[in-house]
Amino acid sequence: MEIRSAAEQGLASCHLCGKVSPVDLGECPRCGCKLHLRKPHSLERTWSFLIAAIAFYFPANLMPIMSVGGLGGTSHDTIMSGVLNFWKKGDLLVAIIIFAASILIPILKMLALVWLCLAASGKTRTSPKNLARLYHVTELVGRWSMVDVFVVAILVSLVQVGALSSVLPGPAIVSFAAVVVLTMFAAMSFDPRLLWDQHADRDLPDTP
Amino acid sequence: MSEETQEPRATIRHRRRWSSVWLVPLLALIVAGGLVWKHYAGRGPIAYVRFETAESVKAGVTEVRCLSVRVGVVERVDLADDVRSVVAEIRMDPDAEHLLREGSRFWVVKPRVSGASISGLSTIVEGAYIELEPGETTLPVHHFDGLEEPPVTPSSVPGLRLTLVAEDAGSLASGSPIYYRGFEVGRVERRRLDIENRRIRFDIFIKEEYSSLVRQGTCFWNTSGIDVVAGADGFKISTPSFQAMLSGGAVFAVPKGGVAGEPAQDGAVFQLYPDEDAARKSIFTPDHRILLYFDQSVRGLSPGAPVEFRGIPLGRVVEISFRHSPPGDSRVPVVIEIDSLTLGKAVEDIQDSTAVLAECVRRGLRAKLSTGSLLTGALFVDLDFVPGAAPAQLAKVGEYDVIPTESSGLAQLQDKLNSILTKIEALPLDDTLEKFGTAADEISITVKDLRGTLSEAEGALAEAKKLLARDETQNLTAELEATLKQVRTSVDSLGPQGAMQGDLARTLDELRAALRSFKVLSDSIEEKPNSLLFGREGSGDPKPRAKQR
Repeated sequence: MEIRSAAEQGLASCHLCGKVSPVDLGECPRCGCKLHLRKPHSLERTWSFLIAAIAFYFPANLMPIMSVGGLGGTSHDTIMSGVLNFWKKGDLLVAIIIFAASILIPILKMLALVWLCLAASGKTRTSPKNLARLYHVTELVGRWSMVDVFVVAILVSLVQVGALSSVLPGPAIVSFAAVVVLTMFAAMSFDPRLLWDQHADRDLPDTP
Repeated sequence: MSEETQEPRATIRHRRRWSSVWLVPLLALIVAGGLVWKHYAGRGPIAYVRFETAESVKAGVTEVRCLSVRVGVVERVDLADDVRSVVAEIRMDPDAEHLLREGSRFWVVKPRVSGASISGLSTIVEGAYIELEPGETTLPVHHFDGLEEPPVTPSSVPGLRLTLVAEDAGSLASGSPIYYRGFEVGRVERRRLDIENRRIRFDIFIKEEYSSLVRQGTCFWNTSGIDVVAGADGFKISTPSFQAMLSGGAVFAVPKGGVAGEPAQDGAVFQLYPDEDAARKSIFTPDHRILLYFDQSVRGLSPGAPVEFRGIPLGRVVEISFRHSPPGDSRVPVVIEIDSLTLGKAVEDIQDSTAVLAECVRRGLRAKLSTGSLLTGALFVDLDFVPGAAPAQLAKVGEYDVIPTESSGLAQLQDKLNSILTKIEALPLDDTLEKFGTAADEISITVKDLRGTLSEAEGALAEAKKLLARDETQNLTAELEATLKQVRTSVDSLGPQGAMQGDLARTLDELRAALRSFKVLSDSIEEKPNSLLFGREGSGDPKPRAKQR
């Protein structure tokens, strides 16, 4: 059985309201939104957000994220030094959680996006099912990565006990926020249908 | 695909190869790169400061402050290569780079409690920090030796910094106050042992507004504790203020008779005398050493004893030693040093001190031992012009001039007699004197009688002459004989067997006895001067006492 995609029939789904209309209309007859077969400049945008996120990833990890002042002076910690401190103190679980949420997952997410982009432009060969799963995980987990930003934001607002203790955000926190936002944008602007387009082009002859 | 049915509008959209979205990564790269670059390039230099221990210094926590402003933070603390000290790596703030210069000093501010002060209390709560005191120069340096003790006054505070040198540390310590007329004008900043010279050196700080009080002629002395001195001039007890008694302190002043001189320069070195007396004595400048030979006991004379000229301090005894005595001479040699300038005022303006002395000795300058205090029996050397002294010359033995001495036994006795006149009055001297007076009266009466007798004799002789001139003189022989007998009786009364003589002899005997009792008294005073105060000890006879149970 031949499956004909909507795109092949010249139908496009509206990005806003989801109504399927012929792409020749130009605008969605229901909401007036512009009609595209695919998200316009999807790969281009994803790449640009991805590169921006990677760029911000360096300052986010190299600069101190939080200054904790209290009895005995002020300490400045980067993410990694915080992880190492927890590890040295024996709080392995906390160290692993922070390491995973703030270092590992963002990296994996960006790597996944890079992979997806490459796949979408036909540079790699992976089964579309796996790619779809990867994309799903990326979008789902990604926005919960780098919880530090939120932890710091909460701590800063909660822990202000005068001279006894205070928490101040470090310069890395903006970069962290930027990485989170930019990866989210990158994931959002990626059009997973591009993956299947690649597949469809290649698989069509094989499909009866 | 639907390329064939594409509208021209769509083609135009496709031609735009560079979307504005690429500005995002461009901006991101610039911003991120800028952040990283700023973080690393703008981190400021590292200072390596060596401390004895890393006590209360924590990597990443301990701040470096300059006048309580944060200028850096300790990044790492490592053991030094020789494992005897630690090196703190201090990451300075970028705008504080200029503070790392030659002469900059680092020390750890932590709670310190000393006798005089408590400092660094705030660090109990907020943790220790390293204080940086910038140096004066602009030469950049990155390796420093941290101070173990904080300098009490930062060098940026204007004032006078001096060094005191003392033989003994006493109770003067870091933080001890410096007084001027009982008013605190500065502090001891540090004391250290000068091993090379075996002396104690005190670095002191005088506040700016009082720095003009310190002159070149100023003397510093210790005021710690209670000072009881028993010297040739009696007992002396001096106590400083209560605070100085507790924590020690030093006083400075220009001693009486001293020359103030120019204001002291920063970094000047002064001697710290153990007490005010020593400071006062220090101002005279002995320029002449003189040897004296005393032909009597010098018990009670000690090195340092004063040498006075008619009561004016002139010098001091330096040495009492037979080292200077020629062989076979039993006299005691005493070396004194004097300021011949004072003595020079007594004679004409002769500049050369030896010439002054020679002239003085020619005029009768003699040295003798005098008792300064009856209580302590301490002696001092008294220089004075002795009227009618045997002529003498300034001699020379070795390198020393020799001033002739005079035995002071009589003078000593005289002094003692003067001082005990009240006791003498209680002695039976009045009776003696009365008797003496009576005797004198008797003598005068006798003499008057004698005179009368003599004039009678004269008359008689004249008559005899007259008689002799007459012829009948021969007949008067018997009469003359009688007259002569009368004269002989009168003369006899003055002779050895006469009443007069007996009276005189008795009087003299009593006078002798009185003098003997003086002698006993003076002897006992000489042996035990304190018997004047405390009385003589009881007789040697044992006293019966109750049995001790």
